[in-house]
Amino acid sequence: MTDKHGASPPHGTNGPTDVEGHEIRHEGTTLPTLPGGLHETTTSRTLWGDAWGRLRRNKLAIAGLIWIGLVVAMTITADLWVPPTFGDPLSVNTTPGANLQPPSLEHPFGTDKLGRDVFSRVVYGARVSLTVGLLAVSISLVIGLLMGALSGYYSGILDAFVMRTADVFFAFPYILFAISLIAVLGPSYRNVFIAIGILGWPSIARVFRSSILSVKENEYVDAARAMGASDIRIMFRHIMPNAIAPIIVYGTMSIGGAIITEAALSFLGMGVQPPTPSWGLMLSDAKSLMFAAPWLTIWPGFAILTTVLAFVLMGDGMRDALDVKMKD
Amino acid sequence: MSALLEVKNLATHFTTRDGIVRAVDGVSFTLDCGETLAIVGESGSGKSVTALSIMRLIQEPQGKVVSGEVLFKGDDILKLSDSKVRAIRGDRIAMIFQDPMTSLNPVFRVGRQIGESLILHKGMSRREAFERAVELLDMVGIPHPRDRARDYPHQFSGGMRQRAMIAMALACDPDILIADEPTTALDVTIQAQILELMIEMQERTGAAIIMITHDLGVVADMADDVMVMYAGKQVEYGKADGVFYTPRHPYTWGLLDSLPRHDIDEKGALLPITGQPPSLINVPAGCAFHPRCPYAKDVCTTGTPVLTDVGEGHLSACHFSNDPEFDRRASQHPGEVA
Repeated sequence: MTDKHGASPPHGTNGPTDVEGHEIRHEGTTLPTLPGGLHETTTSRTLWGDAWGRLRRNKLAIAGLIWIGLVVAMTITADLWVPPTFGDPLSVNTTPGANLQPPSLEHPFGTDKLGRDVFSRVVYGARVSLTVGLLAVSISLVIGLLMGALSGYYSGILDAFVMRTADVFFAFPYILFAISLIAVLGPSYRNVFIAIGILGWPSIARVFRSSILSVKENEYVDAARAMGASDIRIMFRHIMPNAIAPIIVYGTMSIGGAIITEAALSFLGMGVQPPTPSWGLMLSDAKSLMFAAPWLTIWPGFAILTTVLAFVLMGDGMRDALDVKMKD
Repeated sequence: MSALLEVKNLATHFTTRDGIVRAVDGVSFTLDCGETLAIVGESGSGKSVTALSIMRLIQEPQGKVVSGEVLFKGDDILKLSDSKVRAIRGDRIAMIFQDPMTSLNPVFRVGRQIGESLILHKGMSRREAFERAVELLDMVGIPHPRDRARDYPHQFSGGMRQRAMIAMALACDPDILIADEPTTALDVTIQAQILELMIEMQERTGAAIIMITHDLGVVADMADDVMVMYAGKQVEYGKADGVFYTPRHPYTWGLLDSLPRHDIDEKGALLPITGQPPSLINVPAGCAFHPRCPYAKDVCTTGTPVLTDVGEGHLSACHFSNDPEFDRRASQHPGEVA
């Protein structure tokens, strides 16, 4: 990094604003690598700025980002642009012949067995999937970061306790655990993301713990302690910002995972309840008609596939972007 | 007059699987206001652990200060509450670490990092702290300090980072500055500049300095007192002139002889101390230095030498320190003579 300034001569381009005395005082000590006039043109680069620069060059990650942006935008503004002629995604159309229509201009994705427009259900279903994905991962993050931080920073009994608890979570088959949790809580939109969130924390805690373990060995942590910083300050101001990168990557990918889990749970009837549109629920409803009305499975399936893929690609791109070893 | 810092019989041990490591074993010294004490010794002689013990930065439970007192302005730091110690750290006693490449946090701008202790100890606002950080950067000789304060550490060269570290340590105008091998990780050309800077800063701020180093050349210029450590113990301690010009311990002789010198034209070759520093788990019986000491006699393998006064407060821990026959020049390296 410093070679940026290396080319400038020791005193060559210092501006007239320099105090003479200052120059003389450090005559013997001014480094040849010190910036002269070059400095003004050097933009201050940040860790995150660098990462963004690298991410921008990763086409797949950007494709993922654009796709997620599109889905989010479409979902938020759905009320404004989904033509009312498609019909309310929730209301059942009992007119004879209105159900199981193949895709047409009137219903671009066709209609399901209750005569509801599949296009608007896919668009509104994104609300459920994205919200569940985001909220579930947020819950996992809150619990996981706290637990990971405690266990990474304070070793010993606390660490052992948190990690063994995490092991207990890992010991159960994931979907079974989720189903039994929801069986206790009762199947509902809210309980789906709570269950997924609760089940997600151990992995986050693991990743964060190992990240903290490596960061806290750094000398700047000792330096912060020698400066009189308290444990909390060291944790939040000095360790966390340096340990968070893997969590950003893992969290992004987890959103995709949570969306899949929501779809799976809804497919099994343990998730979002009808008539709320959800991609998983739509697949579940369509399974008996898979060959008679393939558009019923293709579109929600496509939506799940692309959205999850987008999150994974973006997470993958961020892993490369945040990896300091890839510094250019 | 009571000293600024008085360390009495400090002992810090680490528990490892192989046994107890006596990293520091009964070290005592005093430091007055504005004075410079150099702690000299090989790697693993307990220099850094001594410094960390003073600031109570030894990581428990592996390490523990097992005995001794560290009296700072009369208060025993080892007995203060955690919050009182935190109030001293960075404010009254500040530390400069060995490797400036890794001791600055990569995600904070340099100015912010320097200002942090001001926010912490002086209750400054972030803006005030930043302004002060700019002044400090200017003081340690960083050109364009206002621009540079907004830079990240990776935009600084090694020498500039060490300057920034010094600025950081001096931010709260500490009474004591502990520098743990501040020049070891730097280029030779930068080393001299940093030492120069430290001397200049000491003149300006009047801070006492504890300089930890394995390089005697570094200390010659700036130290008032010198303490030579070997295997966790003091082997020689006294005024710098005494230790340099009339050293009384064979280990100090060894250190001085292994130093390249321009003023004395001897045979040209450096004389290294043979062998390795002992394992601190199994310190040799008697004098810890006896397996490497060319002058060792029977008594050295059994009796532990104590620090004895060899004149004017100059202490040396050798059985023969007070033996007038026992002289470095007189018996120059018997191995070669024989």
